[in-house]
Amino acid sequence: MTDSDTRQPAPSVTPSPKSTWPPKLDGWLDAVARRATAEGILSSILVPLVSALAALVVGGVLIAIDGVNPLSVYGAILQGVFTKSRGFSYTATVATPLVLIGVGYALAYRARVFTIGGEGQYLVGAVAGTAVVTAGGVGDLPRVVLIVVGLGAAIVAGALWGGLAGVLANRFGASIVISTLMLSFIGDSLLQWAVRDGIRDPDSYNANSRPISAAALPSFFGQKTHLGFLFALVLVPIAWWLIRRHRWGFRIDARGHNPGTLNANEFSSARVTLSVLVVAGGLAGLAGMVETTGVNVRLGQEASVGYGWDAIIVALIGRLHPLGVLVAGLGMAGLTIGFESAQRQFELPSSLVSLITAFVIIFVVWGDAIAARWKESR
Amino acid sequence: MRSVSRRFGETVALDGVDFEARPGEIHALLGANGAGKTTLMRILAGLDSPDAGTVEVFGQRIEHFEPGPIRALGVALVQQHFTLVPTLTASENLVLARPEGALLPPGRTAGARVRRLVEQFGLEVRDGVPASQLSVGERQRLEILRALDADAKILLLDEPTAVLTDVEAERLLGVARALADQGRALVVITHRLAEVEACDRVTVLREGIEAISDGAVGGYTRADLASAMIGTDTSGTITARTTRRTEAGPVCLRVRDVSLGRVSSLSLDIGEGEIVGIAGVDGNGQSELEAALSGRSAAESGEVSISGESIAAGDPRSRRAQGLAYIPSDRYSWGLIGPMDLSDNLELGRVLPIRPNRPARHKAARPSLDHWDVRTAGPHAKTSSLSGGNAQKLVLARELDEHPSAVLACYPTRGLDPEAADTVATRLVAAAEAGCAVLWIGAELDELLAVSDRIEVLYDGTLFGPYLPPFDRAAIGLAMAGDAADRARTATGGEPGPP
Repeated sequence: MTDSDTRQPAPSVTPSPKSTWPPKLDGWLDAVARRATAEGILSSILVPLVSALAALVVGGVLIAIDGVNPLSVYGAILQGVFTKSRGFSYTATVATPLVLIGVGYALAYRARVFTIGGEGQYLVGAVAGTAVVTAGGVGDLPRVVLIVVGLGAAIVAGALWGGLAGVLANRFGASIVISTLMLSFIGDSLLQWAVRDGIRDPDSYNANSRPISAAALPSFFGQKTHLGFLFALVLVPIAWWLIRRHRWGFRIDARGHNPGTLNANEFSSARVTLSVLVVAGGLAGLAGMVETTGVNVRLGQEASVGYGWDAIIVALIGRLHPLGVLVAGLGMAGLTIGFESAQRQFELPSSLVSLITAFVIIFVVWGDAIAARWKESR
Repeated sequence: MRSVSRRFGETVALDGVDFEARPGEIHALLGANGAGKTTLMRILAGLDSPDAGTVEVFGQRIEHFEPGPIRALGVALVQQHFTLVPTLTASENLVLARPEGALLPPGRTAGARVRRLVEQFGLEVRDGVPASQLSVGERQRLEILRALDADAKILLLDEPTAVLTDVEAERLLGVARALADQGRALVVITHRLAEVEACDRVTVLREGIEAISDGAVGGYTRADLASAMIGTDTSGTITARTTRRTEAGPVCLRVRDVSLGRVSSLSLDIGEGEIVGIAGVDGNGQSELEAALSGRSAAESGEVSISGESIAAGDPRSRRAQGLAYIPSDRYSWGLIGPMDLSDNLELGRVLPIRPNRPARHKAARPSLDHWDVRTAGPHAKTSSLSGGNAQKLVLARELDEHPSAVLACYPTRGLDPEAADTVATRLVAAAEAGCAVLWIGAELDELLAVSDRIEVLYDGTLFGPYLPPFDRAAIGLAMAGDAADRARTATGGEPGPP
C-alpha cells in the first residue's frame, strides 16, 4: 500500500466536516467548544481566571477615563456583594436563571450542538407557566400544586421550543445557531402578544398578566432569595453525574468528539442532538417561570432581560462543566449586583457591566486559542 | 519527465519513472490504486515537486514546481474532483480562471467567450445556470473548456470517465481524439482497459514503477495490460492461509438487491466460516456498499439480513446485538473517538445505562486490551495517542470480542505497517475459522488472494464473479479493469464499451 492510499481516505457517503471550505460558523464554534473543554489546569482554571482579571483591568481603565478611581469602584462592588445584608441573596437570585440556562447550554455545547435559543425558551416557558397558573378556576388549588403545575408547564413549553430547532435540524438540515436565534425573536413576540392580549389582566391599565401571587415561590430557607436557587444548586451535581456516569452523558460527549463514530457504533447522533435541545430548552423554560414566580408579581412586557444570552457566556467561562457554570454564574451575578450599588454611588454608566462581561468572553476565547497553540507547539 | 522519484515519508510513490507526452497523441496512464498515477500528474502540473529526476516542457527544464508558471507553458490538469465554483455560471467560472483586466466583463462578453469556445471545440455546456446544476458530464466539459481557454497544449485528464455514463465517456474520448488531432498532447489517467484502447500510447504504473513504459497500445492485449497493472508476483505482506474451505457452510450474511448510489441491485450470500473478498478499484461502489451493509446509511432498496434477521439502518446497537461486527474503512471517522480513552472506545455499542465508575471501567477494559495486544500506556490513554496498528487492534477488540456471527471488514489493513497488517489479517482469519462469516472489502489483490475463500470483483457498482481458489490473477485483474463488464454488455446486446 502506498502513501497516496493512506493520505486520501476513500470517498465517503457521509461528507467529512473537514472537507468544507470556507469554514462554516459551526466549525469555528466547534473549535471554541473544544478548547473550552481542553484538559489541564491551564484551560480549566487559568484561562477564565486571567481573562476575568484582564477584563476587570480594561474596565478599570474605562472607569478611570470617566474620572473615577477604579479601585474604589471595585471595592464598592465587593462591599455590595459581601457586606450588604442582601448582597448575597440578590446575587443568588440573579445567578439562578444564569445557572439553570447555562447548564443546559453546557450540555448542548459538549455535544457540539450550538443552540443560542435560551432567551426564547425562557420567555416561552414564562408565558406558558403564567398562562396555566393565572387561568380561570385554578386559583382555588393549593399553592404547592400550582407551583408544580406552573413549573411543569414552563419546562414542557421550553422543551418543545428547543426541540423544534432539533426537528428542523434533523429533518431539514437547518443550522441550529440560526433557527434557535430566530425562535428567540418569535418567543419574544409571543410574550408581547400574550401580555397585551392572550393572558392580559383585563383589570389592569398596563400590558401584563394577572398577578401570579397564588403560585409565588417560597423563599430560600428564610433568605432574601427564592427557592429557585435550590433548583440551580441541585441541578449542578445531577448534571455532573449525568456527564460522568450516565449513558446519555457519554453519548453527549461522544457526539461532540466524533458524531460519525457514535452514529456507526452506538446511537443515532441526530437523536442526541434532539435530546440535548429538549433538555436545554426545558431548563431555560424552568428558569423563565422561576424568575416570574420568584421575583416578579406579574409577567410583563419587560420580562426579556437577557439571561438567555448572558448564560452563553456563563457556559463558556464555566468550561461547559456544571460546577464551572455555577461558579461563573455566581461571579457574573455578583458583578451585576455589586455594580448596581457602586453605579449609584459613583454615577457611572450602567453599560459598564455588559462591557466588562463582553471583554471577559473575548479574553476567554482569545486565551483558549493561545493555550491551544502553546500546547501544540510543545 | 526523466527518472522522476517522489516519496512520502517511507512510502515510495514514484521510483525513477520516465514519461513522455507527444503532440498529436493520446497517452494512457494506467494503474491500480496508489500506483502513483496522480502523483506523477501532479508533479507535471506543478502541484507537487519530485525528489529526484527532471521535468521538461517543450524543451524547457522546470526548476520550480509551481502551478502558475507551468500553466503558462501550456500544461493544464483537469483533476478528478471538480474545481469549479458551484454557485457561478459557466461564463463566470471562465472569467474567474482567466480575468481580462481588473473589471469584470459584461455578461454578454463573457457569454460570447463561452459560446466561441463551445463552437470551436464542440464541447457543449449550458451557460447561465450555476455550475452546481450542470450535469456531471457538463461540469467536466466545462473544466476542459477552462483549460482550453488558457490555450493548454498539454492536457492532463485525471480519471476523466470515472464519474461519467458510458455514452458520455465515449463522447469524451472522441473529443480527446479531436483535440489530439489539433496537435495537442493529451494524457488520460485511467484504470479501465476499454479506454486505453482508444489511446495511442500507454504507460502502466505499478507501485511507483513502470510496468509498461511508453508502448504503442496496439502492441498489447487486454490480458497483458491487466497483468502489468496488478502484477504477477504474489509478494503480499500477509501470510496466506494454508487451508481453504471447499464448501461454504449455511448462509449467514445475506445481501439482497441492495442499491445505494453507485451500487445497483447487489446480491451476495456469505456462509458461516467463509471469507469473501470484494476486489476492485476504489470508487466502484465500495463506500456505498460499506455504508449500506453497516447500516450507516439506509439503502435505497434491498435488504441485508443476518441469520434470517433483517438489519435496520441507523441502529448500531441492534446491529451489534444481531451479531454483525463492523470494521470501518476509515477508523478515525467511523470507528474510534480520538479524544476519549480506550475503555470508552471499547464500550461503544454496549454502554450500560448507568456506567461503572472510571477505575472499574478501566479495570474491565484491561483483559480485552491484553488479549488483542493493544500496546498502550493503559486503558486511561487517549485513543488519539495510538499508532495506526494499535488503533485498528482496538477496533478489532471491540468488534470481535463478543464472537459475532458475521464481520464486515472494510480495508482492514489500510495504512498499517506489514507486521500490524499481518496481525489484523490473522485475527480475521481466526474469526472465520471459528465460524464467522467475513466480508472483506479490500484494495490490494494480493491480500485478498491470501485470505479469501471466494473473490467477487466490484466494478461500477456490480459484482462479477465468483472467482474460486486456485485464483486466476489475470482473470480477476481483467474484471477489475472492466473487461467482464464490457463482455456482459456485449453479450446482452447492449452498447459496447468505448472502442
